[in-house]
Amino acid sequence: MGTAHTLSIHQRLLIAASLVLTAFLGLTGLALDKAFRSASEEAFQARLFSSVYALLAAAEEDEAGGLKMPDVLTDPRFNRPDSGLYAQVRAKSKGFFWQSPSSLGHSIGLQREMQPGESKIDRFKLDESTVMGLSFGVAWEDFQGRELHYVLMVAEDLKPLQEQVAAFRDTLFIWLGGAALLLLLVQGWVLRWGLRPLREVAQGLSDIESGSADQLLGDYPKELNRLTSNINSLIRHAQARQQRYRDSLGDLAHSLKTPLAVLQGISESDNEQGQTMRKALREQVDRMNQIVSHQLQRAAASGRTVLTQTVPVKPVVERIVGSLDKVYREKGIDWELDIVAGCDFPGDEGDLMELLGNLMENACKYGKDRVRVCAQRDRGLHISVEDNGSGIPPDQAEAVLRRGHRADQQQPGQGIGLSVAADITIAYGGRVEIGTGQELGGAVIHLYLPLP
Amino acid sequence: MRVLLVEDETDIREPLAEKLRKQGYTVDSAEDGAAGLFLGREYGIDVGIIDIGLPKMSGIELIRELRKLDKNFPILILTARGNWQDKVEGLEAGADDYLVKPFHVEELLARLNALLRRSGGWSQPVLTGGPVELDTRTQTVSLDGSPVELTAYEYKVLEYMMLHAGKVISKSDLTEHIYEQDWDRDSNTIEVFVRRLRKKLDPDERYKPIETLRGRGYRFALEP
Repeated sequence: MGTAHTLSIHQRLLIAASLVLTAFLGLTGLALDKAFRSASEEAFQARLFSSVYALLAAAEEDEAGGLKMPDVLTDPRFNRPDSGLYAQVRAKSKGFFWQSPSSLGHSIGLQREMQPGESKIDRFKLDESTVMGLSFGVAWEDFQGRELHYVLMVAEDLKPLQEQVAAFRDTLFIWLGGAALLLLLVQGWVLRWGLRPLREVAQGLSDIESGSADQLLGDYPKELNRLTSNINSLIRHAQARQQRYRDSLGDLAHSLKTPLAVLQGISESDNEQGQTMRKALREQVDRMNQIVSHQLQRAAASGRTVLTQTVPVKPVVERIVGSLDKVYREKGIDWELDIVAGCDFPGDEGDLMELLGNLMENACKYGKDRVRVCAQRDRGLHISVEDNGSGIPPDQAEAVLRRGHRADQQQPGQGIGLSVAADITIAYGGRVEIGTGQELGGAVIHLYLPLP
Repeated sequence: MRVLLVEDETDIREPLAEKLRKQGYTVDSAEDGAAGLFLGREYGIDVGIIDIGLPKMSGIELIRELRKLDKNFPILILTARGNWQDKVEGLEAGADDYLVKPFHVEELLARLNALLRRSGGWSQPVLTGGPVELDTRTQTVSLDGSPVELTAYEYKVLEYMMLHAGKVISKSDLTEHIYEQDWDRDSNTIEVFVRRLRKKLDPDERYKPIETLRGRGYRFALEP
């Protein structure tokens, strides 16, 4: 169905959903990663602070009242060389310097001036590994009451933290990737399932094209139901129309054969009675003429079409009344119109005009002086035209409706209006009934047209 | 009676004009809408026969234009398609009747006759005035039931007068509605026809069917 330039609906939905999914999961991953990293770092820094405080708590006084560090600290990691946790204490004035046994062999050569109470966190390289250090300035009063300034520093190797973050990241991406894959699969399946009715319609249409089916079969979801039922009625309409064309052609050929034969007979006869010949000739020409006009009108009736607008009945009736009033002015037709509001004809205005024009003119012609036109909706559209003439005998009703179809069914002097109206009604899937009027006592023609 | 015939197909127009002339009509024929409008505007037309499908100006437009010019003569439209949309449109534009092609000339003549009578206020095909009876279908005249022999022109003059009974008709009106080209006729001939009609219809000078109004024209004075 799709060309190289247009993506199918399935492709469009799949691409769009995949992009949205990827973007969403990617951003989720990034956010989670960042949140975890900053939480870990905060915890790491908090630990550095508590180490500094532990160091400060462990500090003792020397003889002069200056700061002195014990030989062994409570946290064993300070005592074990290369443990990853290092400490140093340095006096602001030259002289005092202490470093934890763990940092022996490393030079945490940090020369930093810190005010008491001030703290600073920074990262730096320590030999092979990266460490994060916290420097903390303290003021210490000796026995002479002099204030000594020290800088305490604790540094911890970042490697465990980095490993933790990396492990978290791995887990996160495995899960997110898995979820993405699963969602894509589910989405693909949902799309296939959701678009299946459309594929079935396409399949149904190609079946119709190949001739293996003549309708779209099966149940469709309600969003598609209107479409498929319209396609079906379009197909039915086209088939009916084709049938009508075939019938018309057949009827036309058949009905012209008889008059042609008569004409041939006349032309070959050596009858010199000119008057009779002319009369016969004229009769046959009349018949041919009537046949041709009947078939032309039938061919012109478009019949029920799909998705067309409806035409309000009332204005059309009124226009025809206005026209017939002119033509039948001498009769002074007394019209009774009873057209319920909202009566719409489901098709072409020309067809409605043809229907009403033929019926109403017949009523003017065969009625005495009163014509009643009614239209109402009961399940379909029901139009009736009644006159106060002598009516149509029930045994002739069928013949009147069929008149014009075949020449041999025809009686001279009778119009084809009613049979044209009947043909149009049938083309719209409706039916025609001929009866005796309850109101005016003449003929009444009922048209029943289905509404879509 | 002067007929305006507007039809583009020569094969239909020429024989029809011929038939109409044979029936005693004066015919102005045109093959397109514009020429039709000219004739309709310039001459005192009694009835029009207008085909719907015309070149230059459609029949419907032509009818609208004529009505706009206050030309109120009755118009019969000819339609080839015979569908109601055309008929209704034509009648709404100002036509008075329609005929579907092909038609029998007799049918057309009957319709023309009816339209002419209707425009004169007559509903019957037989016009009456005192003892005078004029049958428009057979174009015969009788006086107290016995037939009166009239020439074609005498009949034309009488028919026109009876159709417009009670109204003043000038000599030039009569000339215009009776002769195809008024310049080759002398209005004195009208006086001759009127004198002969008076003699034939009222030999004893009892009814005085045709009044002369000095300087204005004539009037058919008998009541139906």
